[in-house]
Amino acid sequence: MKKPLILMCVSLVLIAALGLGVVSAQEPVTLVFWSMWNETEGQARVLQTAIANFEAANPNINVEAVWNGRQNQTLVRTALSSGSQVIDLMDQDADQIAGGLMREGFALPLNDYLQQPAFDHEEVLAEVFLPSTLEMFALEGNIYQFPYIYNTVQFWYDKRIFAEVGAAVPQTWDDLLAVCSTLIDAGYAPIAAEGNEPGYAAFYLTEMLARLKGPGWLRQAAADATGEMWRDPAVLRAAQMTRTLWDNGCVPPETIGYVWPQGQTTLAFGTAAMELVGSWLPVELQTQTDPDFQWGGFSFPAIEGGVGSTSDVYALLLAFMINKDTAHPDEAFAFLRYVMSDEIQQLFTDESLVGVTNKYITWNPIIADASATAAAATSTYGDVDNVASLYSEYLNTILYPNYVSLWQGAVTPEAYIDMMATQTAEYWASHS
Amino acid sequence: MRVSNRFIALLILPSFALYLIFFIVPTIQALIYSLYDWSGFGAAPQFIGLSNFQELLNDRVFWRSIGNTVGILIVGGIVVFGLAFVMTMMLSSGIRGKKFFRGVIFLPNIIAVIALTTLWGYMYTPRTGLFAVIFDAIGLTDLARFPWMGPDTITIAMMIAIVWIEVGFYVVLLLAGVDKIPPDFYECAKLDGASDWQQFRHITVPLLSDVISIGMVLWSIHALKFFEFPFSFTGLEPNPSSYTVAVYLYILGFGQRQPIYRLGYATAIGVTLLLVVILVVLILRRLTRREVVQY
Repeated sequence: MKKPLILMCVSLVLIAALGLGVVSAQEPVTLVFWSMWNETEGQARVLQTAIANFEAANPNINVEAVWNGRQNQTLVRTALSSGSQVIDLMDQDADQIAGGLMREGFALPLNDYLQQPAFDHEEVLAEVFLPSTLEMFALEGNIYQFPYIYNTVQFWYDKRIFAEVGAAVPQTWDDLLAVCSTLIDAGYAPIAAEGNEPGYAAFYLTEMLARLKGPGWLRQAAADATGEMWRDPAVLRAAQMTRTLWDNGCVPPETIGYVWPQGQTTLAFGTAAMELVGSWLPVELQTQTDPDFQWGGFSFPAIEGGVGSTSDVYALLLAFMINKDTAHPDEAFAFLRYVMSDEIQQLFTDESLVGVTNKYITWNPIIADASATAAAATSTYGDVDNVASLYSEYLNTILYPNYVSLWQGAVTPEAYIDMMATQTAEYWASHS
Repeated sequence: MRVSNRFIALLILPSFALYLIFFIVPTIQALIYSLYDWSGFGAAPQFIGLSNFQELLNDRVFWRSIGNTVGILIVGGIVVFGLAFVMTMMLSSGIRGKKFFRGVIFLPNIIAVIALTTLWGYMYTPRTGLFAVIFDAIGLTDLARFPWMGPDTITIAMMIAIVWIEVGFYVVLLLAGVDKIPPDFYECAKLDGASDWQQFRHITVPLLSDVISIGMVLWSIHALKFFEFPFSFTGLEPNPSSYTVAVYLYILGFGQRQPIYRLGYATAIGVTLLLVVILVVLILRRLTRREVVQY
């Protein structure tokens, strides 16, 4: 009599346990996602689609999105500091996350998760990413960011003007100067630029030093407490090349009075031929260019005697980060895995005209040349050769103002070298 | 009817509570945080005493931002008040359409700053901007290409725009004062043969002294914490050479473009700014203190 009773009790316990298991699997989960997009932006709309699809496929998961705009990380900081909010995942420029939440230890390492199968491919998820994107901000072998949008910095040019004057895409610095002369002779302003925009001006310094000394050298110079690396002949050469662009008329003199976006609109109006800027430019100028405008893109040219290559790519990524304290890391990553699916990544490039990190996706034709650049990358570096994420205060208070002075012709290349060497040493003496 | 002190205290209480919660407590918190090295993230702030203030003494960008801010305060103030006086005199001289002109002059004050910076940016654009088109039309091609927003002239360009925006507020303020001066004073002065300048100097200015004093205090506070216009006027990312103190504070503390996040240091800048505002206001109050003028 006892045995059946015991069996019945055991069965009831097992059924209850199994039942709990089912209940546990179906337990409602709310993922709180704070985003860098404004609700009506194209990228936000794609994410809204991704969220809706993901929720439909996972009825127990609700993704609660908060559209904060570009101040997202600062708002996340405030929320996490006050302990008043649960935030499971967020997105922002990868450079900014690296210098902010990631440096402060808020990011969950994703290495194990990235070994899961890709959403719609045979290989593991990590293999789906374009080369060097996942590793760009890895720290001691740990990957903390999940990049999903890919911007390249390169020259964007008007193919019709190049064809009209018979100019070929420049492969070397000397080619670039020759193309400038041809364009000037034909009555065009060769290079569109902003006069007073430190971030855009510093694209030149970054690319020149990447080509001359290789990626990573600029960030070492920024961190050199003696400041002496700035006296390297390559820096003087880069400074002289910067001034050559202005002195030769490649950058027209009135550029000095352009404040963003005045410079780039000269490209849309057909008076200028090219601009060194991110692959967001064709999208930004979309409403101003005529329908026949033909965009082309080429990498910053090689420099004679330099050790860098045109396949070293200046990449500005946008990425997700999962909060290390989230109660739902598996669900949060499941959502990211879906964002990386071909379907959603294709939507990003089709609807918002941006580059994406999934290697199987054909980018929107308007930025096809950026896609080729990204696919061929042998190495990537972030904003100002990662100085933006590693030494952001130095960038803002030393590197930017001094380079803008050189850019605007307020100081000579020689004076620029002295300023950088002296002020870098002073900076690190007071920021040790 | 005698009102009891308790009743007065009761009426003051809500305002005092709000003042306490939204000003006094945050100010005390700011004073405390200015003594810490803190990113503003979760990590515990590290007490560093007065180191943030010591660092400010040698901070090149901070001193440049002080220079820019003081430039706006003094040069901008002189031009704003000079123009406001001229316009006030013109509007109070009995011209027709006074209310219309007053409204037009005040209009920039009710427009969003971002719209104003966009408008002025367009006007200054070389080749295609409004000024360029006008100069081109009258044959001044060199001026049409002049880089108004270049490094040598951007501060002046910004100042012109700021003056255009701000002057309306002070015109309205001064006009309200002028309207309260009895017209008999001017009539008597005219009978005595006083010129316009003498009327202005000996009647208008003395009787407006309180209004001028308040106006100067308001301008000083406003100018010292100037943020929106310089922040959005200089493009995507303000050039550090054109920072005002408030812009520098924001860049360091809130990581707008670059993830600097030095909230402790930024708070020290804020505390310094608060002390400067208090000092300037005290000086102004002392300089403009005078006997009540009666005629």
